[in-house]
Amino acid sequence: MHSDLLRLIDEVRANKKQPPASGVTRATRLREELGFASLDLAELTVRIEERFGVDVFADGLVQTVGELDDKITRAGKK
Amino acid sequence: MSKNILITGVSQGLGLAIARAVLAAGWNVHGVSRRLSAEFAALQRGHAGRAHFHAFDLGRVDAVKAELCEPFLPLALPLHGFVNNAAVAYDDLVANLDAARLRAMYEVNVFTPMLITKHVIRQMLLKQVAGSIVHISSISVHTGYKGLAMYASTKGALEAFSKSTAREWGERGIRSNCVVAGFMDTAMSAGLTAEQREKIHRRTALQRATSPDSVAATVVHLLGDGAASITGQNLFVDSGTI
Repeated sequence: MHSDLLRLIDEVRANKKQPPASGVTRATRLREELGFASLDLAELTVRIEERFGVDVFADGLVQTVGELDDKITRAGKK
Repeated sequence: MSKNILITGVSQGLGLAIARAVLAAGWNVHGVSRRLSAEFAALQRGHAGRAHFHAFDLGRVDAVKAELCEPFLPLALPLHGFVNNAAVAYDDLVANLDAARLRAMYEVNVFTPMLITKHVIRQMLLKQVAGSIVHISSISVHTGYKGLAMYASTKGALEAFSKSTAREWGERGIRSNCVVAGFMDTAMSAGLTAEQREKIHRRTALQRATSPDSVAATVVHLLGDGAASITGQNLFVDSGTI
């Protein structure tokens, strides 16, 4: 998994006054487990776009950390 | 604190007046219009390094990201305000409505401003800026005028867009308001006859055209911290249309 992805997730959590996420795996669910609401996901999207140059929500909803990771990997190979 | 303010339609008229007022407030202007006018170039000379310009045709909806936002408004730029001022007016009777001209007007007046708003909100999210979005609307939305049905509908769309933008992003401190401007003596209303102007002025309490400087001062207020509790509103600056 891209280590910067975990850092960006923690940045969004920090803005919500939440501690860094622990035990995040590819299966971790963004909404249910990390507690990200729609506005938090929008913030995460733009942080990922700035770091990796890809809009991860441009082509539909994403549920897990692993799906985000895959989209970043695919964008990097283009 | 200095602010970076994006303003569309800065070449002349109201947009130029807003740019001038924003610079006078001590903030930086990021101006967009089809071409650099002599008037805006003079503002640039008078405010070294504070009045930036990017030429872009706002009718090119599909190029907003690649040719406007990415080169001129990089994500790294903290943006504190967006003034959606640029607009075109397609005036005619509804009975003569032409689909191509209607579509072209919607692209400039509605679609492109919505896409720019998307980009602006993303920048505000990234930089954690509690920014202010101001759309310039028109009194024609609220008072009917013969020949302005199509134009008024574009501004009505912006008022609705602004209201829900305010609701959606309020919890991040991002505000969105409309300034509902009355008829001004600018290029946009140059096609009116003296008689038509007189008729419009008689429909206002002040019996005169709306001053662009008054509209610009209201925009500056909405952009500033003094308006921190104002969002989702339509502020009428229209000589008191009755």
